[in-house]
Amino acid sequence: MILFKNAQIASEQTGPLPRADVLVEGEKIRAVGQNIEPPEGAEAQVIDCEGKILLPGLFDMHVHFRDPGRGDKETIKTGSEAAINGGVTGVLMMPNTTPAIDSGAGVQALLDNAARNARIRVLTSGCITKGQEGKDLAGIAGMKSKGVFLITDDGNPITDELVLRRAMDYAKNFELLVGTQCETPSLAGDGAMNEGAASYSLGIPGMPAISEEICLDRNLRIAQHTGAHIHIHGLSTACGMETVARFKNEGVKVSCEVAPHHLLFNEGDIGDYDTHFKTNPPLRTAEDNARLLQGLKEGIFDVIATNHAPHTQSDKNQDFTSAPFGITGLETALVSLYERFIKTGEFGWDVLVRRYSSEPRKLAKLDPVVIEEGATAEFVLFDPEGCTKFTKKFMRSKSSNTPFLDREVAGMVEMVVFNGEILLER
Amino acid sequence: MSHESPASRKDLLDIASLEREEIEFLLETAKPFKDLVSRSVKMVPTLRGRTVLNLFYEPSTRTRSSFEIAAKRLSADVINFTVSTSSVTKGESVLDTIETLQAMRADYLVVRHQMAGIPSFVAKHTGASVLNAGDGYHAHPTQALLDAYTLREIYPDLTGKRVVICGDILHSRVARSTSTILEKLGAEVGLLGPGSLVPRHCAKRFKVFRTWDEVFAWEPDVVYLLRVQFERQKAQFFPGVSEYHREFGVTDERLETIQERGLYVMHPGPINRGVELTDDVTRYERCLINQQVENGIPTRMAAMYWLKPETADRR
Repeated sequence: MILFKNAQIASEQTGPLPRADVLVEGEKIRAVGQNIEPPEGAEAQVIDCEGKILLPGLFDMHVHFRDPGRGDKETIKTGSEAAINGGVTGVLMMPNTTPAIDSGAGVQALLDNAARNARIRVLTSGCITKGQEGKDLAGIAGMKSKGVFLITDDGNPITDELVLRRAMDYAKNFELLVGTQCETPSLAGDGAMNEGAASYSLGIPGMPAISEEICLDRNLRIAQHTGAHIHIHGLSTACGMETVARFKNEGVKVSCEVAPHHLLFNEGDIGDYDTHFKTNPPLRTAEDNARLLQGLKEGIFDVIATNHAPHTQSDKNQDFTSAPFGITGLETALVSLYERFIKTGEFGWDVLVRRYSSEPRKLAKLDPVVIEEGATAEFVLFDPEGCTKFTKKFMRSKSSNTPFLDREVAGMVEMVVFNGEILLER
Repeated sequence: MSHESPASRKDLLDIASLEREEIEFLLETAKPFKDLVSRSVKMVPTLRGRTVLNLFYEPSTRTRSSFEIAAKRLSADVINFTVSTSSVTKGESVLDTIETLQAMRADYLVVRHQMAGIPSFVAKHTGASVLNAGDGYHAHPTQALLDAYTLREIYPDLTGKRVVICGDILHSRVARSTSTILEKLGAEVGLLGPGSLVPRHCAKRFKVFRTWDEVFAWEPDVVYLLRVQFERQKAQFFPGVSEYHREFGVTDERLETIQERGLYVMHPGPINRGVELTDDVTRYERCLINQQVENGIPTRMAAMYWLKPETADRR
């Protein structure tokens, strides 16, 4: 038995966090309330949570674990340990592994691997098309039968409208979400960052905002026409966000992610060709940062998802054009969002819990994770007075390609509990 | 050198990060180096015992020779390291080359590369001073210095002087560096080029003209023509060369206006005759192309004089 004394309990409720004691027995939360004592004769570990916050375990629905295929960058084991380090107890892997996950057998093999190597819930998405080539449909029914709830070609946008339309029509039979990252390849060209004043100064080819906006518009129209549920990965432009809001108002089934880095950073942060800021969709402008934050507060974005994209040090120790796209996020998301937005009062814990725990689980048709009597114990103890320095030593991911490398950020994940078991204790 | 010297830097990577006083210092320092040319012994011992390594990943005769002469006049040893220019070399393999070259103990690396940011990347991995001799569309700081020097010979104060830069702004590192140095020295910069080659954000920073008529109405003092970079264009940005010449080049007719008004004409070279300009332009007495080439040597000497490598014996 574990007794958490005097914690502040975060949930989807707005307003000041209620204080309570939480008693965990086995996998379950046995009691939540005031002045709880362990039952007579029972032995309980008591944890003083004065000044600290208990929040439901987070769920990140956009991670790349590079497993199978690129174990030098990440594996299911290291990726899931990185998740734990950041307070994340459930993840959805993207299927762009080597080979890509485009069949029921591929999904099964991956889930078997996860069952052996991950201490948290690891789900995978599947491809829309075989090998993410944008041509032939992948084994959609087979993947669904193994538990896939979202299909996506992620970073390889489907250029052929007919293929996307057929995929959406077909996905409806299986109640699958169809995920798309929006980019118009001919407009994005060989761009390596947002097209704008910064790309001009640096002499780096740019990807214009319209590359995202045009593809987004197209995909939403196809979703509207087919009636499929479309899920937008990592939206980066304010204009695109307004398009999503418009289609939502028109009743289109659309859900949409925002990545922490698109709230926190912009093209100006690239500075002297810092490849830790090279990501796709690219970091846009300061104005986009502000408007996306507003959109998150207004509920245009359904979920926060990091697009955790590990790369080796030698991959990133490159000139900016040659370095691959992607930054890691699992270990830094909670702490950095806390420091920048919760601590400063931009938004409350309710927004974080709703967008980074409840809603993604709802999309995955999983039971919500709550801190209530009778619920499964799956939560994070967070110390707002602590601080975290993201050194290589701190990080459990195999890769450390994050703008936060060696930075100190306010707040600390002190403990992570999953199914009643303490997975991390600092 | 008589002037107060600003703290030296290790590298010269772009113009944007230079302070005005640093630019002034470099331009002042170049003057006595230019005077050397009239002496019978055209050398000073400043870099005796030092090694300058020219590392060019892009074909160049003029810039490479200019750096070579500048280094030799400072008494440095010069090594020209020829790299295959048939394909683009990524930063990773550039780094491998640099590590190999460390054994040669160069103090100064003059780097030209097709991709933006390579000199900066190299600079982070070597104690040698890196001089950017042109990287992708990014920067060409010594070109900017020689351009500014050339104009300063005519106008000791550039404040309020108007320079129109004409041509392929999008793919031009010269446009970026030279416009930046001119702004820092107080000049006004305007741009003219095909809309497909003038990034839309430029209008926030510069006057952007659509036609030569608009340019002439602005009353510029200097017309700076850019080379049309056919080799850097991966797609068609304008319908053809003759149309380019007609709409955006200095035709003989436009040359008349330029001559009547006594405007100066500049070009970073090498020129495309019949595209950016005509033969007659090169014979115009206020065409500064040769002066630009000549001034490349003293300004590059000034840059090498000022930079301080962090190679072993200095640590």
